Amino acid sequence: MLRVIDRYAFANRLRAVDPAQKGGIALGVILLCVALDRPIVGLMALLWMVGMTVGYGRIPMRIVVTVLGAESVFLALSVIGLVVSIGFEYPDQAQLALSLGPIWVSVSNESLQTALHVLSRTLGAASALNFLILTTPLVDLIELLRRLRMPALVIELMMLTYRAIFILLETLEQMTVAQTARLGYASWRATMRSSALLGSQLFIAAFRRSQALELALTARGFSGDLRVLPLTYVADRRLWWIAGLIVMSLTLAGWLV
Amino acid sequence: MKRRWLIVILGAILLITFEARPAYAMHIMEGFLPPLWALFWFAVTIPFWIVGFRQIQRIAREKPEARLLLGFAAAFTFVLSALKLPSVTGSSSHPTGTGLGAILFGPWVMSVLGSIVLLFQALLIAHGGLTTLGANAFSMAVVGPFVAWLIWRGLVGRASFWLTVFLAAALADLATYVMTSLQLALAHPDPVGGIAASFVKFGAIFAVTQIPLAISEGILTVLVMNALQTSAAAELQALEIKGVRS
Repeated sequence: MLRVIDRYAFANRLRAVDPAQKGGIALGVILLCVALDRPIVGLMALLWMVGMTVGYGRIPMRIVVTVLGAESVFLALSVIGLVVSIGFEYPDQAQLALSLGPIWVSVSNESLQTALHVLSRTLGAASALNFLILTTPLVDLIELLRRLRMPALVIELMMLTYRAIFILLETLEQMTVAQTARLGYASWRATMRSSALLGSQLFIAAFRRSQALELALTARGFSGDLRVLPLTYVADRRLWWIAGLIVMSLTLAGWLV
Repeated sequence: MKRRWLIVILGAILLITFEARPAYAMHIMEGFLPPLWALFWFAVTIPFWIVGFRQIQRIAREKPEARLLLGFAAAFTFVLSALKLPSVTGSSSHPTGTGLGAILFGPWVMSVLGSIVLLFQALLIAHGGLTTLGANAFSMAVVGPFVAWLIWRGLVGRASFWLTVFLAAALADLATYVMTSLQLALAHPDPVGGIAASFVKFGAIFAVTQIPLAISEGILTVLVMNALQTSAAAELQALEIKGVRS
């Protein structure tokens, strides 16, 4: 999943567009979904944002669906939690009810309505977030946070973390292949032992890598801060018009329906 | 007739939880919390970020190279959460790494690093969200690490080493799970039984994945700490961790 999102974020049609523009649209849609809180707004946002990702950003539909499905476990479990109500007395307005010992498990119109609300709101907001992460590499988002006056130290930590994630992930994959080739995951006990080895060796690898980086930086005159060249972006005027259209249609839908 | 439908729904719940692909099941998804609750959890978490940030700033001033280690520490937590951990019920789940991180780096630093990890999980693997970052950070980067750290500092040297580490990691996971259930219950109270019933409901649903995970992660953390003591004693001493035999 990490590799997929990262690859498409670097290779889509909106790659060069200013992250402030893409971030503004995504955040605007998320806030509208959460603030207006109408099923129709959520569903329209879902259609708009999936359409934008596929049609304007040229991300394959398959990828968009996979990414949206990544959180389906949380969504499915928690929506079930919203639909089902529990209580000690027999619920009056329940559509269905089932007794488990002294506890009544029931489903009512009200709870179905809440679940529909939350489901549509979540899908709309999540598809807006997915539009952002599928069209914008993390380095651009960090650059956006820097422009928003996030403390320099946090920005530096984020950049280091982003770089280190891929280094460590590569190490992790090599170690996993080596362990699997030696039947390291053949049983529950072996899996536990191999995972522990992986965890501790990864910690050591992280520590040694950070020391190696320190040495390399010191050799090049490291004085306490890491400086990188600023990136240049283009402003997409057509995207502003589309953004205006999205915001207008969502607000109108929330107002009228 | 209606009874049959409920049985079908209950069956579906069990199927999803047991047959699910490895899941980061406790990250509250983007848009799931109403605006007031999203803001509330940001307000609760921000003081921890400020104190943690001050501490990191002090560390970075004293030792400029320490920021490289902190960056790798955050990446380590992120990559650790990509491990597939077999859980005792047979399905698999991802460790949170907060217990181990709190033991190694302390809870305040971990509240900042953990939040960076959560932000990256939202932006790189689409788990969690931006408006729910405050709530997720509070349960996973504040409550979990603090519980782990308190148990670690309270028990180390008094109870046996493996028991201390196991309890710190497992109870940190359990605390995270209870906190997230509470957050969900507060945001969406049950129409029949209110917040308490909702808490029991979400707790019961997520218990199926989270309680086995807590046990697995506890065992894993014990094994990792043991391995670290034998092969990374010098590194552990450089971090000045209290209570580790060297």
